[in-house]
Amino acid sequence: MIDPFMALAGRLQTGIVLPLLYRLDLMQWEDIAFGWSLFAVYGLFQVLITWSIAMPLEALWPAERWAGRRVVLTDMLYTLIARVGLLPLVTFVLFYQVQVQVDGFLVDHGWIPPMLERLIPPLFGHPVLTFFAYAVILDFADYWRHRISHIIPSWYALHALHHAQRQMTFWSDDRNHLLDDLISALWFGLIALLIGISPFQFPILVLLLRFIESLSHANTRISFGWLGERLIVSPRFHRAHHALPAAGRESCNYGAVFPWWDMLFGTADFSPVFGATGDAEAPEALATGGYLAQQSAGVKSLVASFRRARKEPAGSSRAGIPG
Amino acid sequence: MTQHGNLSMLGRRTLLAGGLAMAGGVPGTRPAAADTGPAEGGGKGGIAIVMNSVSASVSIIDMATQKPLREVPLLREPHHWTLSPDATELWVGDAAGNALFALSPTTGRLLGHRLLSDPYQLWVSPDGQRLVVNALRLDHIDVYDTATVSLIHRFHESSMPSHLAYAPDSSMVYSTLQGSESVVAIDLVNDKVAWRARVGPAPAGIVWHRDRLLVALMNADDVVMLDPVDGSVIRRVHTGRGAHIIMVSPDRRLLYVGNRMAGTIDALDGETLLPVLRYTLTGGPDCIAFAPDGKLWITRRFADSLAVMDPASGDLALVPTGRSPHGIFLSPMLDLLAENGRVALGTASL
Repeated sequence: MIDPFMALAGRLQTGIVLPLLYRLDLMQWEDIAFGWSLFAVYGLFQVLITWSIAMPLEALWPAERWAGRRVVLTDMLYTLIARVGLLPLVTFVLFYQVQVQVDGFLVDHGWIPPMLERLIPPLFGHPVLTFFAYAVILDFADYWRHRISHIIPSWYALHALHHAQRQMTFWSDDRNHLLDDLISALWFGLIALLIGISPFQFPILVLLLRFIESLSHANTRISFGWLGERLIVSPRFHRAHHALPAAGRESCNYGAVFPWWDMLFGTADFSPVFGATGDAEAPEALATGGYLAQQSAGVKSLVASFRRARKEPAGSSRAGIPG
Repeated sequence: MTQHGNLSMLGRRTLLAGGLAMAGGVPGTRPAAADTGPAEGGGKGGIAIVMNSVSASVSIIDMATQKPLREVPLLREPHHWTLSPDATELWVGDAAGNALFALSPTTGRLLGHRLLSDPYQLWVSPDGQRLVVNALRLDHIDVYDTATVSLIHRFHESSMPSHLAYAPDSSMVYSTLQGSESVVAIDLVNDKVAWRARVGPAPAGIVWHRDRLLVALMNADDVVMLDPVDGSVIRRVHTGRGAHIIMVSPDRRLLYVGNRMAGTIDALDGETLLPVLRYTLTGGPDCIAFAPDGKLWITRRFADSLAVMDPASGDLALVPTGRSPHGIFLSPMLDLLAENGRVALGTASL
């Protein structure tokens, strides 16, 4: 059976990437660059699959109806940049270099870099089970990254860009400030170094996880039922996190794929409500500005949060967003 | 920096962490958790074992029917292989998994694995005394004692040590440094670098051929001939864009050069190095292995398959593999090894 990801990645590699590397005298990277080709193809497939499923759901059972959808176009741009374009390339190159430095340091000091299968030997020879273990660990790490991003005012000043969207759709998943993305990449890079993950081996599962994340942002009135809501993050569950009252420090439902961490740490909200989304205190540019305007507003919010931190005592309830 | 006994120390640390017993296979390996398929090899034609670098597995293929038998999962990123000194084990390097796997070369059965730093390219010396491992990602070349797989010397060589070749008397090993346009020669008798020489952009495949070294240049259209004494370039041979690998036919009368960019395989006369034939093979042609019937088994790196090519007619048959197939071993090579010694297998470019 032909693997569509590999077929397309192979064509991308031989048709575009290799000629480009050859022209730039960078053929020594031809092997490693195949990772980026795969990343881009997985991202493209993920967008297409999410679109083909989430669009009908949003049309048939919308949580909200809007007169226009202009601001959604900006979210589409975010998605394409994040899943297919520049961001995977930069992340891949940076992560590769960091991993080489760290691994090189470790082996020169007599250590082999860690790997989950070595910590839990029964996982060896069971790649799907191993991937599921990785998914659980990464989701747990993401729960805390996300929760802390709401607690630290200057971090939330950046993360507010994600929450400012009042027309939340499945495109909104990647609507993040570049600095927020960078922090996330470093966070996951660290975790990946600690447990030795290799997402390229599991395209279907990676797509599934990313599909769940995108779907949870969809503008649709869908709940997975009492049990389902407690197994996988649903659009209803994540909508509660994006609801107006949940913006800022006192939020809920931080989990991206599994709701278990919210249940475990007391931040879960299973109330059957599909409220309006957004952040009432965020600058308007974060909600309705174009891509560059949003990025610029994010930096201004960050600077303002630093200034406020110098003036105000620690522990103010909602720092980070200029009033 | 020399790091004697490093690997045994690594083994102990992981033993404590993982709580596993060490046994069998490569010296110091752990037993396999489970063999993932039938122990039987293919039919009378033998089996092909293909390293799938992206799907982190090896494909076992029946050579007679050219049908995949099964896929054996490894850890992260297997690329190349070598045979143990007694040829009872096929050692497969899992680069990103930092592991050396031992498989049965006749059945593909997984025998065990042990920790090893970034084994991208590896080959046992013709005299069977040394195992040299190129760590492409971590920029070092490790020399191991094959009997114990203990580290004798680590050479930090920047950047991207890629393919390697030995002098037939095992006194020297030569590695291409893909990221610095160079080849480095390591004196295995005195454990020191003998020379480094700039040879051209992105050198990859390297073979010893008729008292000379031949190196394929990926960012050029050439194979260069080097003097193994000092690395000076004696001659350039034009092949195709993105020359990546060079393989010497078992009778040493022909050289096959895989051109990654051009999607071609060039056959050169072994004596004159003049082009004899050109074959078209898309999908990123990579490693080549020679079957007893004269056919070439060639992995297609970006096309999830290998090509079985009849060099007489140019006819191709495609065999599905795992994702991004790289190194390839054919079990009939064991007969070649028994008849003509390790040098007959060419170099690690296999």
